[in-house]
Amino acid sequence: MRDKEGLLVGLEIHQQLAIPTKLFCACPPVKTDEFPYHFERRLRPSQSETGRLDPAAVFEYAKGRSNRYYWSPESACLVEADEEPPHPMSGAGLEAALLVGTVLGSQLVDEVHVMRKIVIDGSNTGGFQRTAVVGLGGSFEVNGGRVGVQSVTLEEDAARILGEDSESRHFALDRLGVALVEVSLDPVRGAPEHVGEVALHLGRLLRSTGRVARGLGTIRQDLNVSLAGGKVVEVKGVQKLNLLPRVVEYERKRQSMLIGVAEKLREKGIRKVSCRHRDVTSLLGASSSGVVRRAVSEGGVVHCIAADGLAGLLGWEPEPGVRLGKELAEVARANSLGGVIHSDEFERQGLTGAEAAALAGAMGADHECALILVAGRSEAVSRVVPLVEARAAEAPSGVPPETRAATDSGETRYMRPRPGSQRMYPETDIQDIEVGDEVRRRLEREAPLPWTESVERLQRAFTLSRDLALKVYDSETTGEFEALAARLGLEPSFIASVLVDLPARLEREGVPESAVGLGPLTASLEAVAAGKVAKEALPEVLKASAEKGVTVDQAIRSLGLGVVTEEYVSRVVREVVGRQTKLVAERGEDAFSPLMGEAMKELRGKADGSMVARLLRRELGLARSGEGSTGQNGG
Amino acid sequence: MGDLSGYKGGALRLLRDAGASIGDVIEIRTDFGTVTGTLVPRYLYGDGEHVVLKLKSGYNVGLGLSGLAKAKVLSKGEKPSFSPPASPRAAKGLPRVLILGTGGTIASRVDYRTGAVSPAVTAAELDSLVPELSEIAKVQPELLFEVFSENMTPQHWTRLAKRAAKAVGEKFDGVVITHGTDTLGYSAAALSFALAGIPIPVILVGSQRSSDRPSSDAPLNLVAAVTVAAEGSFSGVYVAMHLGESDDKVAFHGGTRVRKNHTSRRDAFSSIGVPLAAVFGRSGLEHVAEGLPARGGSFKPRPKFDGRVALLKFYPSMPGGLVRAARRSGVKAIVIEGTGLGHVSREVSSELGRFVKAGGLAFMTSQCINGRVDLSVYDTGRDLLHVGVQPLEDMLSETALVKAMWVLGTGASGSKARELMASNVAGEITARTFPG
Repeated sequence: MRDKEGLLVGLEIHQQLAIPTKLFCACPPVKTDEFPYHFERRLRPSQSETGRLDPAAVFEYAKGRSNRYYWSPESACLVEADEEPPHPMSGAGLEAALLVGTVLGSQLVDEVHVMRKIVIDGSNTGGFQRTAVVGLGGSFEVNGGRVGVQSVTLEEDAARILGEDSESRHFALDRLGVALVEVSLDPVRGAPEHVGEVALHLGRLLRSTGRVARGLGTIRQDLNVSLAGGKVVEVKGVQKLNLLPRVVEYERKRQSMLIGVAEKLREKGIRKVSCRHRDVTSLLGASSSGVVRRAVSEGGVVHCIAADGLAGLLGWEPEPGVRLGKELAEVARANSLGGVIHSDEFERQGLTGAEAAALAGAMGADHECALILVAGRSEAVSRVVPLVEARAAEAPSGVPPETRAATDSGETRYMRPRPGSQRMYPETDIQDIEVGDEVRRRLEREAPLPWTESVERLQRAFTLSRDLALKVYDSETTGEFEALAARLGLEPSFIASVLVDLPARLEREGVPESAVGLGPLTASLEAVAAGKVAKEALPEVLKASAEKGVTVDQAIRSLGLGVVTEEYVSRVVREVVGRQTKLVAERGEDAFSPLMGEAMKELRGKADGSMVARLLRRELGLARSGEGSTGQNGG
Repeated sequence: MGDLSGYKGGALRLLRDAGASIGDVIEIRTDFGTVTGTLVPRYLYGDGEHVVLKLKSGYNVGLGLSGLAKAKVLSKGEKPSFSPPASPRAAKGLPRVLILGTGGTIASRVDYRTGAVSPAVTAAELDSLVPELSEIAKVQPELLFEVFSENMTPQHWTRLAKRAAKAVGEKFDGVVITHGTDTLGYSAAALSFALAGIPIPVILVGSQRSSDRPSSDAPLNLVAAVTVAAEGSFSGVYVAMHLGESDDKVAFHGGTRVRKNHTSRRDAFSSIGVPLAAVFGRSGLEHVAEGLPARGGSFKPRPKFDGRVALLKFYPSMPGGLVRAARRSGVKAIVIEGTGLGHVSREVSSELGRFVKAGGLAFMTSQCINGRVDLSVYDTGRDLLHVGVQPLEDMLSETALVKAMWVLGTGASGSKARELMASNVAGEITARTFPG
């Protein structure tokens, strides 16, 4: 089905670079929580030479909202406040981006030209983002297939949104200007899962350079998704890799629904959806519908849009969770207005049959005509009604080109129209930068091993499973792992699983992953190596250490887990066997497992399991043959 | 041959051989493969070794000649045709405001194809960029000249003053002058003297962030300036710029007491030693200082300036020879910016004395910016008074320079000139100094 639908997905990965400053000023790229200063700005669309304005820019400006920016000298300066020209581009940032280009086999440009890309949703104080192409083309392999690279771009990150209300959007300036490398890939065909694999692979490739930042929020994926016969939809801000396939799948079914609506209209011979609207507040003043009542009680208004030909299509849901009606509501919500309901859901929304009939009468609507109610503050309703009408009128053309945002649940929601091509012009405050041959040669020398080779080397050198080797590579503790394996003389696979599996396991048990850092993990491994505690006790020890905020050694002591002598273990084992002579007599060797369980109940964390098993086998041998404790077979 | 502005050397030859012009879509074969894009102009100081293409994605990239084999024109570029927006609504009964352009691009369009920025020159263009204006006034833009503000001369001040004075007879309710910010303070002072007593407001306005960017401070400054020019209750010459970092308030500074005190911030301009003349906010004019001259009355412009004045800043170890050099260059008056209350070294003091003896005029201001000079407190000051250096109270150095040019321009000399320098013509001297 997907092939028939012609699903194409272009992936753009934005990865923060690990450099000490922002891209165009000396501020450190750190997160700030307290902002002593703020200011307020309005952005307006700038006009192009042809007299045209960018549709996305006009959309944002029409919202009439101002932007409030909060900042601290800890993480921002006048450059971020758009009160000082940018400083020269960070050399470290440029080199890191060029190295990424080198690793991807891109053609590095000979002269880097910084551009201003108009973005007036307020996330950039200047109203544009500074961005520069550093490499063109290139490719890498994923599972034997080749994925093409379109471009490698060095750009500054946007301000962090803190919240929004009907008057303004609120942004923090700490993230504004942080250096990102963006890798845009050729569109790939095929299953949504494949997109996830491509992203995972590319993420590893970027990390292999050692020049990219780690941790949550340092990598972000944008998607360009299209189906045959539809337009390209841009989905912004997929934070987690595992959401990628879900977002792609959601877009596929959403766009497929929109194409379906267009087909249905075509079948009916409807080429154009015309709309008209009027104020119906007085007509619905007494309605018991929640949406209407809320608007009216707050002194707002209700307008009704009649959209010819859309009856039955607003609530049509060919696959779960995708309906044209939802799209209209999202357009309103992008303009801070929540009250939109349509005739396919009148009953569910508490409108009576009589009210629906009165509306139809007032609007002169026939049975092919859908009704859409827009309720809220008068000013917002007047602003939103034409936008909802415009979106309804787009139904016959299928998928409109839009910019959408990915949600945490793997869906997407409408943000704004797609920007036009007329929104990029040179950043005249920054001089062009020549990339000399010397730099190229040096970067080629510095290019790291492909990550696949690094993983294979881990597998071979430490006899790890591929899965474990990959986990070590992904957790970016390869260096620490290798050092510990060399130093502690423990089984490498045990060290690896403690480093990469244990934190996740503890998180499932309610211990935050951040509380189990490399420090405690190393200390606990050292304790095992020194014979201070048994392997089996590590989860308990680390949990106690994190929860009580004490060192690993203190946790071992407080849990009474100090390792005991072989003599003590022998005694416990002997006691267990002594208590269960009947079981031993009945089941012989098969009594080993239940007895081992019982012994470990007393000895878990105090003694190594293999020692307990050895002593138990010896004891059982004794118990069975009566040879006494001088017997030699340790099993 | 087509336009290949900015290209030289090998790059120029390659492009010329291919018959390419700026704006053409060309294909360039490189060692790596083919790159296609629109040819964009090269900057004045760019080398001759790179060709700059704008890719379909909108990005510009520079490609080095060493890897370039061949350039081929795929399609000739079309000049972007600007479809002028509809003319402003015919607004009846609105005040009339003359907007004089001097070269600062307070409202401009961007050519996304080449990156060029061009100013709005007609009322229709201005209206399409700042539509609020046509609701405030019937504006008539006029481009008087196009110079960077650092290239402004007394001749430009004269032309500006004459045009603004003419606007009174043409029944304009006010004049707005768009101006680069670097020398905005000097021009404001010049017009304050030349147009002293003008019955309408004359507002100089600039922007610290260029008008091609969405965050420009130009539109709000312009809206505030046009509002005051149209309906302000007071007359005279003022500078309108942002009051703070936010796009919410615009400050109006008296033309002789304003100074640019920051290189880049929106609120770079300050009123020195006097309160703000007015503040424009969300609800219009929110504050107007007491004692501003009302509209109306008769006046006679005195738009002439004599540029033969030097402004020297005294510094430790300053050689007296600099004063001699100024005299030899034909300067008729020197404004010396002294330290503290108005002091210079003994050497410079004697040279100034010689200059005065030879018929020159010497005036003292302070490099402290804030406060008043006083040559009676220390011996150094008394020596300066003795040799004929005239203290200028709390007049700003830049204003003093411009005023001296204006005084000479009126034809005054000797004691007449000194008298005019000491009198308060346009608010340049205050009688009392206040805290802050």
